Amino acid sequence: MTDTAPLLSLQNITRNFGAIEALRGVSFEMNRGEVVALLGDNGAGKSTLVKIIAGGLEATSGKVMFEGKERNFASPAEAKAAGIETVYQDLSLCTNVDVVANFFMGREIVKRYFGIPILQEAEMIAATEKAISNAGTKIPSLRVNVEHLSGGQRQAIELNRFVHWGGKLVLLDEPFAALGVEQTRRGLEMIKRIAAQGIGVVIITHIMAQAFQVADRIVVIRQGKVAGDVARDKTSPDEIVRMITGEAFQGKAQEARPNGP
Amino acid sequence: MMSSRQRALIEFVLDNLVWFLLAFVLAIFSLAIPNFFQIGIFANIIEQSTFVGVMAIGLAIVIIAGHMDLSVESVAALTAMVTGILFCTHGIGLGYTLSPEWLIVPVSLLLAIAVGGAIGAINGWLVVRLQMNAFIVTLAAYIWVRGLVVAISGGRSAQGLPPSLRFIGIDTVAYIPLIAWIAIACFALFTFIMAKTPFGRHITMIGGNAVATFRAGIKVDKLVVFSFVLAGAIAGVAGWLLAIRTSGATANLGTGMLFNAFAAVVIGGVSLKGGVGRLPGVYAGVLLLSSIHTAINLMGLPAHFTQMILGGLVLVAVLLDTVKLSIRQKLA
Repeated sequence: MTDTAPLLSLQNITRNFGAIEALRGVSFEMNRGEVVALLGDNGAGKSTLVKIIAGGLEATSGKVMFEGKERNFASPAEAKAAGIETVYQDLSLCTNVDVVANFFMGREIVKRYFGIPILQEAEMIAATEKAISNAGTKIPSLRVNVEHLSGGQRQAIELNRFVHWGGKLVLLDEPFAALGVEQTRRGLEMIKRIAAQGIGVVIITHIMAQAFQVADRIVVIRQGKVAGDVARDKTSPDEIVRMITGEAFQGKAQEARPNGP
Repeated sequence: MMSSRQRALIEFVLDNLVWFLLAFVLAIFSLAIPNFFQIGIFANIIEQSTFVGVMAIGLAIVIIAGHMDLSVESVAALTAMVTGILFCTHGIGLGYTLSPEWLIVPVSLLLAIAVGGAIGAINGWLVVRLQMNAFIVTLAAYIWVRGLVVAISGGRSAQGLPPSLRFIGIDTVAYIPLIAWIAIACFALFTFIMAKTPFGRHITMIGGNAVATFRAGIKVDKLVVFSFVLAGAIAGVAGWLLAIRTSGATANLGTGMLFNAFAAVVIGGVSLKGGVGRLPGVYAGVLLLSSIHTAINLMGLPAHFTQMILGGLVLVAVLLDTVKLSIRQKLA
């Protein structure tokens, strides 16, 4: 693993579903600590791309390079072991147990007595408390069941858990779809904090304002290709909309592409 | 805003509501019914709770895992019959003896656990591998296992277990029959397993959100199959106790226990949606049912009142669950 290699590098990724070409040669790179907003109209190929990155689908051709090495993840579990995870709304928490149990789901700290594994609650509570407070998240009680927490708090638990267990690249698919204004603001702040810890964040969203608030770079997918890859501070919402819809300016979009990360 | 101590107190009451209900009901009965308040009556309530109680443990575990096991009653009948046929000296009993004689206790118990576990394994396999609905699979088992009991017994009964086994059904320790102590020990053991081991934690989480646990790398299929095996094995123990208590087995032994076990599980606070419930609550539920049963007997009311009260109690339990939920939401 070299620090100079980009965290993730996609090279000419294609994916066909029968005769349909969902992706027609997608290439882009991202670094540690970078937040990339993936934009595009419905059916542009965003979800297919995210699934390929996270191991849910395999590319028909092209290379996925993660931390400088070629990786083609055959399953989400493989991608997860490498440190890539998709956080779906409400799909990765058990709301019927408390915050601590969720935090340690499948990785419980146990001590064996006569070969019988016994849960070490005190240790797990302490570790969860530390991780949550380090991340600056406020949760009233770690022993409260997740079903009683707000959507924003749930998302915070998922993301903090991801960071705590050595995640390197997180893919967020419409993370704020079900959240209110204040919760969304906090969520966006949390994404910035996570990126500041050196974690790559890919966020898929339909809401232009959110992309501009949080992303360092905006990548637009259109008809299975990268229609634009621009630094946030070198573009405008109007320009992005034109890239998404494909109205002219294709040349400018390519021009605006940054030379380095 | 309430203090954290107040909140903890309310949480404690909500978590153990069925125990408070039991204490309340026992207090009322003791005051209102002559001769109710005596050790013999309470010991009797605890003894009556043995078979349904043990059976309810496995049922509760499978329901907490998000599934269903209707076969526990028939499985208990099967292991009772197997125990009866092998070790009874009269009727269709073959009267096998072992030397030394005490070996009959572990051997018959392990056999009951194995037979029950095997039926559970079949159920679990059908549910997980063939993706069949647990309700249907175990309803079928409820029927075919009872059929098997009738088939292997030819509809006849076995009587007369040897004293080396029978003592478990007769002896008492501190006024409470040994079999009731065994049921209490089972509850203690599985309460511990559900609360303190990764297995219990994972079963609870699977019942809450199987997709999430799968994504977290928990072996969901394996654990669900194991929960069915466990339910079968525990029902096997219930059957073993039943055979010992009645010193034999008949083809229709234990009929109707399933619904009592079910009622106890629901009254005990286990949600049929899965993921919610604790075993001590289930035991309190069983004790509550037995208390009501005993009270009705003492008052000399016809037995069918028990069923009406039981049905009403199940409804009240489900209603209480909704109330608890809304109180909890206000707390959080």
